Amino acid sequence: MNSVSDLGSIVSRSLHDTLALSLPLFRPELCLAVTVVLLLLCRMLPVLKMLDSAWVALGGAAFALFYAWSDLRGLPGWLGGDALASRQEIFTGLLVFDSLTAYIRLLLMAFLVLYIPFTKVSGIPDREDGADFYTLVLGATLGMCLMASANHLLMVFMAVEMASVPSYALAGLLKGRRASSEAAIKYAVYGAGASGIMLYGMSLLAGLLGSCHLPTMARQLAGLAGAIPAGNLGGVEMVLVLGGLMLAVGLAFKLSAVPFHFWCPDVFEGAAAEVGGFLSVASKTAAVALLLRIAFGLGMPVAVLPGADSSSALAGQAAALQGALLGDARHFMVATIGLMAALTCTLGNLAAYGQNNMKRLLAYSTIAHAGYLLMGVAAAVALSGSHPASARTAVSAVAFYLATYLFMNLGAFAIVAFLRNALRSEEIASYAGLIRTSPGIVVATGVVLVSLIGLPPLAGFWSKFLIFSALVEAISLSAERPLMLVLLVVGGLNTVFSLYYYLRVLKVMTFDPLPADRPGEALSLVSFPGAIVTALAVPVVMLGIFWSGLYACAQLAGAFAS
Amino acid sequence: MQPLFPATLLVLVPLLPLVGAICTVLLGRRLGPRAHLPAVAGIAGAAAVALILLLTTYAEVGHGGAHSEPVRPVEMITTLWQWASVEGTPAGEGLTSGAQQGFSIPVTLRLDPLTATLLVIITGVGLLVAIYSIGYLHDDPGYPRFFALVSMFVFSMSMLVAASNFLLVYVFWEAVGACSYLLIGFWYSKPEAARAAKKAFLVNRVGDFGLAIATFLLWMTYGTLNFHDTPNSAIEGILSQTRLADPGGIVGGVIGTAICLLLLLAACGKSAQMPLHVWLPDAMEGPTPASALIHAATMVTAGIYLITRCAPLFVACPGALAMVSIVGATTALVAALIATVQNDLKRVLAYSTISQLGYMFASLGTGTMLGFTAAIFHLVTHAFFKALLFLGAGSVMHAMGGVIDMRRFGGLRKVMPITAATFLIGSLALSGVPPFAGFFSKDEILATLHAKAYPSAHAQEHGDLPVAAGADRSPLHLAAYSSDAHAATPAGAAVGLDSLNTPAVWQTLFWMSLVTAGLTAFYTFRAVFMTFTGPVRVPPEAGHHAHESPPVMTWPLIILAVPSVLAGWLLFSTDALAHFLSATPSLWAESVRHTATPLEFHWDLAIQGTLAAAIGIAVAAIGHLGRRSDLPQMERYLGPLEPLFANKFYFDQIYQALIVKPLEGLALLAALFDRSVIDGLVDGVARIPVALGSLVRNMQSGLLQRYALAGVMGVLAIVYALAWQLRG
Repeated sequence: MNSVSDLGSIVSRSLHDTLALSLPLFRPELCLAVTVVLLLLCRMLPVLKMLDSAWVALGGAAFALFYAWSDLRGLPGWLGGDALASRQEIFTGLLVFDSLTAYIRLLLMAFLVLYIPFTKVSGIPDREDGADFYTLVLGATLGMCLMASANHLLMVFMAVEMASVPSYALAGLLKGRRASSEAAIKYAVYGAGASGIMLYGMSLLAGLLGSCHLPTMARQLAGLAGAIPAGNLGGVEMVLVLGGLMLAVGLAFKLSAVPFHFWCPDVFEGAAAEVGGFLSVASKTAAVALLLRIAFGLGMPVAVLPGADSSSALAGQAAALQGALLGDARHFMVATIGLMAALTCTLGNLAAYGQNNMKRLLAYSTIAHAGYLLMGVAAAVALSGSHPASARTAVSAVAFYLATYLFMNLGAFAIVAFLRNALRSEEIASYAGLIRTSPGIVVATGVVLVSLIGLPPLAGFWSKFLIFSALVEAISLSAERPLMLVLLVVGGLNTVFSLYYYLRVLKVMTFDPLPADRPGEALSLVSFPGAIVTALAVPVVMLGIFWSGLYACAQLAGAFAS
Repeated sequence: MQPLFPATLLVLVPLLPLVGAICTVLLGRRLGPRAHLPAVAGIAGAAAVALILLLTTYAEVGHGGAHSEPVRPVEMITTLWQWASVEGTPAGEGLTSGAQQGFSIPVTLRLDPLTATLLVIITGVGLLVAIYSIGYLHDDPGYPRFFALVSMFVFSMSMLVAASNFLLVYVFWEAVGACSYLLIGFWYSKPEAARAAKKAFLVNRVGDFGLAIATFLLWMTYGTLNFHDTPNSAIEGILSQTRLADPGGIVGGVIGTAICLLLLLAACGKSAQMPLHVWLPDAMEGPTPASALIHAATMVTAGIYLITRCAPLFVACPGALAMVSIVGATTALVAALIATVQNDLKRVLAYSTISQLGYMFASLGTGTMLGFTAAIFHLVTHAFFKALLFLGAGSVMHAMGGVIDMRRFGGLRKVMPITAATFLIGSLALSGVPPFAGFFSKDEILATLHAKAYPSAHAQEHGDLPVAAGADRSPLHLAAYSSDAHAATPAGAAVGLDSLNTPAVWQTLFWMSLVTAGLTAFYTFRAVFMTFTGPVRVPPEAGHHAHESPPVMTWPLIILAVPSVLAGWLLFSTDALAHFLSATPSLWAESVRHTATPLEFHWDLAIQGTLAAAIGIAVAAIGHLGRRSDLPQMERYLGPLEPLFANKFYFDQIYQALIVKPLEGLALLAALFDRSVIDGLVDGVARIPVALGSLVRNMQSGLLQRYALAGVMGVLAIVYALAWQLRG
């Protein structure tokens, strides 16, 4: 065997892997990449300068949405097949394509298709900044897609950075405003610190486990746990815990989880509402997906690991044994995630009390919702060892939550942006008596905020209901009963807390008298801004009534956790 | 005939008024004085379609001589969509408990002779009332609202009679109740109107509760709520032809009796029968056209409809059936007695409505084919002449500037001749004077009661027919009881009630009805004489308004007067209605059908009825004809009975003392507890998050260094917590 033919076979194999296998499953990301290039080209060529970059970006996003949709439809689990067979490692194992990838990508692309018209109508960015803005948005979204499909620590870091760096620039988009620049600097410094810590943690883990490939790491971890008697790991255990915690710091930063949430209110208040919407929806979606990836990648039972043939009984037993060995790792993750969930949710909701700025209020609301999402993830991980079917249900609950969250939170930020244009203010007090001038917008605000509280019959109710039912399942089935019970109680209490500050906004809008000297004009639903708000608020109602279709998709996404 | 053809048309009957209502709501303000257009157009369309449906169904039933039976039951069903559907595990044999079974509620409309007849009444009277209202309410600020509500009511009522499912019946039972509530309270700024609306709603809730429980019981007993058979299902519809053909198909015994009594309670609420009749007189606070449509002609007949539709259920429970008649005849008599001393023209008519509905209940309770068809016959004629009388009273009220107390006006026949003439026709019909409509229908009811009370007399006449005798325990029913495992022995309540079913009871009921006929004539003509005869007197409120009403109001009166004269004779002489109705699946049931008797005109009964009416009119004439209506009246001869009648047998006072006051006391206690204990607790708890929130907010200083410090401290805290947990 000579080295030339060896090299040749490697090249041909990787070519085959890239061209025939990986690229067809990478079409949405490719669309985004091409669109970014096009946007940059448009800036350079004088002929194309006339072209509005928003439409270019929207076109690219629409193509990406189409491909993401056809990818999800193409999954074997679509319409009741076996979803487990869909796991496919691409790009030599750096990324993985499975139902979660397809679902999150679809969410992100749908978000873009809604988000770009919204920013176009709201007027931020202006025509001048449009190309920069959309380049950054599409680039960050590309990074988020990679976050959702990362299968390798290297890719995790790359993806997080790719999503974060454009976000820092976006936060400073309002160049003239001091608050905006301050927010960008804070965000960047805090983000850089978090990235550094995360990288450190990754290197600790990789060094100890000898690989960056998540399934391989899980196998190594199981082997490590099997080799040494429990409780006697000594230094290895310490390093593992430290590495895991440092990795968690990076993720917590992206999720704005307590105690790494401090950037969130400052950045949201300083940056434009449009940017806040982007950070709070897209970034959160990708971060939750990444958390699921890492938690299940490292704590996953080995049944679906490459190499293990799940069909034979012997391999099944071996898988069960290794699954049991990973129990400690899962316990560590559940404890960390659960603790953070409880803190994040409570702090977010409590701090939202007494806020006067709508964007700041929504920032705390975002933090609180990250807490609810983390609860779902904690329940899913807690169930994953012993009850894979229930774990899948819990992941479906998280996936469903993300989809409804897209509409209600983007809707909230859109309303803030349009009201800022109309009233020249983002203070809650300036919304007084809005129902007399713009009743349609107030109704839409009511829909969105009540859905954020989680009251029926709106979409937010089902999201919370599914998360809480996953927690109940975890209480009755998993070994983490006390923590899950605490989470359920905390979640329930927080839902009650959150009533007050969301409803206060509605109270100001409806009951407070209209100031005599209201600046700005009324906002009708029959207008471009009104149409955007309607397009975001109507799904909140519709998904509250007809939720089974979306839930079927979410169940498909949940199938990845098996 | 294409089965699709009537099915598609049937959807239009409720749909057109619904569209009319929605258009009125949306465009009402823009249309201004023309706001009636969508509603009138919608109801007119529905009336036309209903007429076509009636003719189609009639053709389907087939004609035939007076003595021939229809060949087969006629029923057309169209399922619009599946409202709710829960898969169930495959059910076992026979009647199974609901738990294992699937639950499905199809939105299904049905067309059969009963539905077709009622649809024509509802849309026809609805149309005339809507047209009349154009004139009656022309200056009212709530003009569009009124038409939206009337349209909505016609929609709900036609859905109620067209629905083929108990749950849908319940939904629209509530919907008509809601429309009624909104129309009684139409002038909501008037405290009496608001109070009357509330009273009607609350009293009706009692009946609705009965319907809800009956629905649950039906579901538990039969495993379905459909009237009809569901395709590809082992479960037969409760009133389906397959089940009705089966002698053991209907459950009797305790459960069956309970269901029937609960249905009767529901019917009593909606149709204002004792003891739930108290809401109807107060409901006269609503606009008179609404009273004519809802509280005289259509909605209050929903109870009659429900019992007729469930006829096989009732026939299987003779005790419950007897209760229907007892309630009906008692209500008829009591309401007639109260009506004799009322001075408010609309209230006289309201008590008269209660009384006439009591007649129909008495007729239904006989459980014979003649009883059911006679009740519907009276329902039809009553709808015409009572709507006519109400609209006439409205016309008077309109001219008198809102005054309706008969003591304050008189001699109006000279002021408003058309109203007077049509009102007289309506009164003759109501009193049962031959040959007006009411005579024939009331005669049939008396005949059916008479047949029950004196079975031997009738058996001699038709010795060859298995006439329902006394207890109505035909061999067929005994077979039904013994073959049904669920009701092997009709024990408990059923047995207790069955003892009511004796000829002595029926004889009492018959004589009560005859007395009521006389009283009816008396109070009706008392009102006629007080209002239209004597010297002309007009209250000051009328101002220059005292004139005949505009044509848009008088034409409906004239149109309604025609059937009030002719409908009885036409329908009776040809026996068309009874023949037609007997093809309704519910009445086609073996247990009902074998009681059918050929058409007969009972001279003796007709003479008794006419005599009673003549005496009533004569007494009224002696007391009131040509006199000033503000002079002392007949009731001074009643002695100690007068306050009893005038206070409506003290029903309101008894309810007030026994139900309302204790409840108010309880509510007061609950309110106190809520305000002091619960609110205090809630307020206290609500302060906690605010305090905590301000604590948390202070951590957000805006300084990056502090954020970093907090992050580090946080990680250390988590490490500590984990280490503590792992060790422990």
